[in-house]
Amino acid sequence: MAPADLSLHDRFGAIHRRRLMIISAMVLALFLSLGLDLAAGPAGIDIGDIVGGILDPQSLALRYRIILWEVRLPDALIALAVGAALGLAGIETQTILDNPLASPFTLGVSSAAVLGASLAIVLVPVLPFLPEAAILPVMALLFALGSGILILLIVRWSGGARETVVLFGIALVFLCNALTAGLQYLASAEAVQQIVFWTIGNLTRAGWLEVGLVTACFMIILPFSLRQVWIMTLLRGGEAHARSMGINVARLRMWVILRISVLAAFAVCFVGAIGFIGLVGPHIARLLLGEDHRLLVPGSAICGALILSLASFLSKALVPGVIIPVGILTAVVGVPVFLGLLAGRRKTI
Amino acid sequence: MTIFSATGISASYGRTRILHDVDLPELHDDEVLGLLGPNASGKSTLMRCLTGEKTHHGRIVLDGSDRDEMDVSAWHRRVATMPQTPPNPSVLMPTELMWSTARALDLDFSDRELADRIEDIFNRLGLDEFALSPLHVLSGGKRQLVGLALALLRDPDVLLLDEPTSALDLHWRMVVLDLVRERLTERGGVVIAALHDLDLAARYCDRIVLLEAGQIVASGTPGEVLTPDNLARVYHVETSVSRDEQGQPVVQVIRPIRSGKQVAR
Repeated sequence: MAPADLSLHDRFGAIHRRRLMIISAMVLALFLSLGLDLAAGPAGIDIGDIVGGILDPQSLALRYRIILWEVRLPDALIALAVGAALGLAGIETQTILDNPLASPFTLGVSSAAVLGASLAIVLVPVLPFLPEAAILPVMALLFALGSGILILLIVRWSGGARETVVLFGIALVFLCNALTAGLQYLASAEAVQQIVFWTIGNLTRAGWLEVGLVTACFMIILPFSLRQVWIMTLLRGGEAHARSMGINVARLRMWVILRISVLAAFAVCFVGAIGFIGLVGPHIARLLLGEDHRLLVPGSAICGALILSLASFLSKALVPGVIIPVGILTAVVGVPVFLGLLAGRRKTI
Repeated sequence: MTIFSATGISASYGRTRILHDVDLPELHDDEVLGLLGPNASGKSTLMRCLTGEKTHHGRIVLDGSDRDEMDVSAWHRRVATMPQTPPNPSVLMPTELMWSTARALDLDFSDRELADRIEDIFNRLGLDEFALSPLHVLSGGKRQLVGLALALLRDPDVLLLDEPTSALDLHWRMVVLDLVRERLTERGGVVIAALHDLDLAARYCDRIVLLEAGQIVASGTPGEVLTPDNLARVYHVETSVSRDEQGQPVVQVIRPIRSGKQVAR
């Protein structure tokens, strides 16, 4: 390739088209992974029956129809929705705080959710009139949103200084962890076991309602993120330049952190604290797609969904008849992919 | 025809007053104003007031319109700043940074026009070979040039440069300031530059304002402002000032002035 005689318009266009191809391949991989995830499980339904059963539920035997529609589809779809929400929240956190180590979890959102869930687990046996199935996600959601409000207050108070936001987020993580530990210290052995199980993260609790809520949250927030892709891209050039162009970075930071908090709160409240995706999903997307947020924002959501979907497949396929909690597997799937991409990138430089 | 004025500018950080009622000379088309002064003299704060980033008292008027009454985006389309810090060394490509800036500011270019404009600016600044490289492979000086390219993208009537040459070597310092001068001759407009280098200021500026502790010490042509007395007062250095063939002052710094009073300051 001798690009010197081509105009910048053509060369930049070629890069953009190559990235569009990559993102199309990622979407394709997502569909494949969804198929694998739906086909995995002890009931032994083959992939043809699954496709047929989705297109025409009546074609399946009742037993298989229930397994597909009531168990596997909600589990597989919540993996996509939660993964996409965490991937989107992750890229927005890293860009708005200009910090590659930041993720929704470093802001304390998930630790607060764990604290809320733990409180629910400990309180339910004491207050038997509370409906157990509903109180746990509701408490997790309320605490997660509460931590988001605290962070927003800090952003306002500090005038949007990003170091203060990161430091406060980490302090909040420690505080929530300490309070959760205190609860575990007081709780019964059974409750402690439940808390630990919730903390690991597990997709099998989700039904259609949960799928709908997380998907709706993602779909409502995504257009706001997409509207700001140009500003987010130029923000990667540094805050000083954005400010000198008349962009109110402090106000932008408020809005973005509000979006991140809501996304992360809805993502973790039903399935538990599935970490890692919000951190590494954006990095994988960045290695594949570069910094142009037009593609990086949707790409990061796709990456998050793909990692969690593959982890969900593995959680059923690794040990036949056993479902390993998916939170254990996200890092196991994500780290090799990430390291592979990093190694590939080193060779090309 | 561009006329720019800034009068009665005062600004504080918390309770610390940084600028005290600063009046800049009224600037007309083709004029370059240099802001000089030691560290902490208020140059950067004054620049940030002029861009509109920092809240302040005083009036800033462009072609008869008060900035407080102008639409923010209209202001930023006519007035562009090159901040002191160069763009971050990220994986972002200079072209992507320029492109997203143009789109975020709603500049009225088609894709083709925008690409051609970016290419033209990069060619002038010697950045063409880095247009599609990640910013982190560029030297600090090259990134500073990307910062200038970003300001030029809007083709502003007023160009504010905050220490535009601090990371540049001798060659690029002159290339940048020549380019800024050429641009004024081609299309008009005014330039305000905060500078550290006295000789560059003498060579490229039509007027100079010398600041100390947030107040104007001297204002006028380079020959009027860059005198041994003024420089001794503001920079605490002993200098000898001669004239070059064009009659512009050439400053030679001899030694720092050490007196008990000044060391304590």
